[in-house]
Amino acid sequence: MTIAAASSRRTTTALLVGPAAIFFVLLLILPLVVVVIYSFGERAPAGGYAPAFTFANYADLASRGKAFLNTLTLAPLGTLLCVVIAYPLAYFLALKASERWRTLLLVLVIVPFWTSQLLRIYAWLLILGHKGIPSFLALIGFDDVRLINTPFAVLVGMVYGYLPLMVFPIYVSLEKLDRRLLEASADLGASPWRTLWQVTLPLSLPGIATGSLLVFILLMGEFIIPAFLGGGKVFFIGNALVDLFLQSRNWPLGAAVSLGLVAIMLVTIVIYMRFVLGRGGDRRVALM
Amino acid sequence: MRWYASFIYFVLYLPIAIIVIYSFNAGRYAMDWQGFSIQWYFKAFANPFAMNSLKISLTVGLWTAFLATIIGTLAAIGLERMRGWLRQVFDGLIYIAIMVPGVVIGIATLIAFVTVFKAVNPALAHMFGEHAPKLHMGLPTIIGAHVLFNLAVVILIIRSRLAGMDKSLIEASGDLYATPFGTFRQVVLPLLAPAILAGFLLSFTFSFEDFIIAFFVAGPNSTLPIYIFSSIRRGITPEINAIGTVVLVVSLTLLISAQFLLRGNARRPAGGARA
Amino acid sequence: MSKFDDTSMTSRRFMQELRRYQKGSVSRRHFLGVTGLGLATAVLGAAVPGLKPRPAFAAEDLGDTLNFTTWPNYFAQSNLDDFTKKTGVNINVSVFGSNEEMLAKLQAGGTGWDVFVPTNYTISTYKGLGLIEPLDLKRLPEFDASSQDPRFVGPGTVDGTIYAVPKDWGTTGYVINSDKVKGEMTTWKQFWDRTRGDLSGRVMVHDYQLTTIGNALKYFGYSFNSIDPKELADAEKLLIDSKPHLFGINSDYQPSMRNGDAWMSVCWTGDASQLHRDIPAMQYVIGREGGEIWTDFYAIPKDAPHRNAAYAFVNYMLTPEVNAKEILAHGYPSTDAKTNALLPKTVLEDPILYPAKDLLANLEFGAAATLTNPMRAEIMNRFKSA
Repeated sequence: MTIAAASSRRTTTALLVGPAAIFFVLLLILPLVVVVIYSFGERAPAGGYAPAFTFANYADLASRGKAFLNTLTLAPLGTLLCVVIAYPLAYFLALKASERWRTLLLVLVIVPFWTSQLLRIYAWLLILGHKGIPSFLALIGFDDVRLINTPFAVLVGMVYGYLPLMVFPIYVSLEKLDRRLLEASADLGASPWRTLWQVTLPLSLPGIATGSLLVFILLMGEFIIPAFLGGGKVFFIGNALVDLFLQSRNWPLGAAVSLGLVAIMLVTIVIYMRFVLGRGGDRRVALM
Repeated sequence: MRWYASFIYFVLYLPIAIIVIYSFNAGRYAMDWQGFSIQWYFKAFANPFAMNSLKISLTVGLWTAFLATIIGTLAAIGLERMRGWLRQVFDGLIYIAIMVPGVVIGIATLIAFVTVFKAVNPALAHMFGEHAPKLHMGLPTIIGAHVLFNLAVVILIIRSRLAGMDKSLIEASGDLYATPFGTFRQVVLPLLAPAILAGFLLSFTFSFEDFIIAFFVAGPNSTLPIYIFSSIRRGITPEINAIGTVVLVVSLTLLISAQFLLRGNARRPAGGARA
Repeated sequence: MSKFDDTSMTSRRFMQELRRYQKGSVSRRHFLGVTGLGLATAVLGAAVPGLKPRPAFAAEDLGDTLNFTTWPNYFAQSNLDDFTKKTGVNINVSVFGSNEEMLAKLQAGGTGWDVFVPTNYTISTYKGLGLIEPLDLKRLPEFDASSQDPRFVGPGTVDGTIYAVPKDWGTTGYVINSDKVKGEMTTWKQFWDRTRGDLSGRVMVHDYQLTTIGNALKYFGYSFNSIDPKELADAEKLLIDSKPHLFGINSDYQPSMRNGDAWMSVCWTGDASQLHRDIPAMQYVIGREGGEIWTDFYAIPKDAPHRNAAYAFVNYMLTPEVNAKEILAHGYPSTDAKTNALLPKTVLEDPILYPAKDLLANLEFGAAATLTNPMRAEIMNRFKSA
């Protein structure tokens, strides 16, 4: 390529990428830099940020240990439950449902997503509250069952809220499956379970990986579900953060907790991707 | 298997059914059925704050979708042409944007904006005196924060589509004396069209549904999710159920009509590059 | 109000009708028709345009929106609707469960609030941070300092300037559902002990540092407003011990009390009134060790976008007739003698609204230091994160 052509190529590239770059700098890098700076600051007398340089906030992270723990146990658990519940459904849709119904059933999975998540979670508040399921249980003799404001309620909310997001990637990779492989496996004498375990599951792993990564990321940052269904008793990092900024007004500590959360997520995701996608190479995770 | 699927669908739709059914409740409180009534639909439409927040959600959603799709598509194409460390930095930024939880993005954007505004506003007042523009949180800040996240999503979608594209088509177009721009317009763009559409729809959905980022950066404005949230705090009336039902029905209608349109398009051969 | 000397009706009857009109008992049309003013002013108005009667509030343009920030279950919707009918201003209500949340939002800026309801201990801090503006009392003719109970008006004045006018006052105790909670409850000791005992899983506390930490301090007999590190440490330990036994941490506890999920909750006067009115089994208890007595105020943030509407609204809500309707609806006692004069005896003698003197004696007003003290904020956040 001639020098002129090369530099004009560079200009075009710069123009193409430029606007996006500006967005990233102004709205991602700048805010994150501000957060890092704040995390070394001190709480201003009435709340907010006072310039300083101290590691005290990071030292204080341990005091929020329970919230970190809650998030780190319930988020992966929720993801796992989501996979376990979504997989059979995706399997059914991809391999068992008749052509006619398939699109409709798929659409029916995603339609709940089109109602406000807030409203759907609020509906669960009613279902799990005293006048909902517990009142049914009381009829058959289980008195005083408390379902709301428990980790159970939060799990239900999480699985419910993100099920569609998990079903789709798994469906996509199952759908691409070559049926003949399944037939061959059966022909070679494998039981249906063995086929599932040794053929279907491994081949649909990319879908499972995509879905669980997506859901995991979203669950780690959850705020609404623990807020509504946890009633202040099940606190996620997201809740601790909202409280630190919108009630305690301890911005430096909030900044440190945010970075703590991001760091934990980075580590978990890298480990996960290494584990699931195998060693070596940089596999890009396609979202769709 | 079928039982399992049916059970899942039942659980999936139980809350939705509750929302829809109680939107027709004559009484004020949920779980307290007092007869059938459609009064709440009228009340919802007459409620200026509910309608305003719906309008704002739509405005923000559309702006976000347009900006994210256009800027994202261009960036994805540009990124394909880049090599070296700059490309890696970009890739890193895209993954960071996706990975950072919404609550952190919301908070970070809020404190960054507040800090910048606190610094810039006095300077503006100094320069322009009485009628200085005063920067504050508002629609542009929500749109900005939403575009950032959706930009990353769009770039990833377009990029994976580009990666799967048959490069020989582009070469062929070049061999046939098409200008780079012409190639872009007549070969690349049509092939990318489904991905661009997907990016647009996804961006709009994420933006319309988003609560946590908007909660922090909306300033005095209220998007629909923010309005619903504060209604739940205020003491929910079936008005909210009515609004939720309407949104559901509208999106269902859009989805179904999109389905029909796409089916019509599918008859025609893909690409359309004729020698 | 215009006063026309019209001799075709007695002046007494005129004043009666005028008062009825002012109270909202009759429409403007009725008033004008019955007093003959309608016809008179129509005629005069045609001749002298400046004399046409104006609606009560349209001295200035109020705009069409008012952003009102308040607490849960704290106003009569009918009063707000009336205001909208009279002025055409739509009221957008936001609800918060603690002063700290309101402060955080105001500090972040750009809230768009026009009127909000701060509690007595916050006002000096708001003034110090430059978040509220002095009130122009000329625009609040209904505020009459002489008819206000002096115990409660004080905190609204900072350095001699009035920044906030009283809305109502109240106490903080706890409410029990006596159908489920057996035995006599009179102290905070009982509250916290039974929370960890037989009432485990059925108790709520406020998502609000002042009352939650304050009433934990009362368990030990410390001051409600203590910022002493040792005392706070004791309170924190109590809170963290109690947390597994709580049903929830929420300042909007009425729904859970009503539907039976919670049987006992830290509670403000008015919520207890409302609950007791609908469910007589609900009893209000003021701990013998003490607790909080408070006053809530109306204040206008600096940079309120609809200042005219804000003044009109506050003035409207301070009108004795309107205020009386408020009290009857939300059940918090009024600071204003003129309003009290309009209330029925049953309300004025209600022990929930007006607790016995010996119980009141131990109550403390919240202290400004608790709002800004970092330890109290930190303890609250740690407690919730635990």
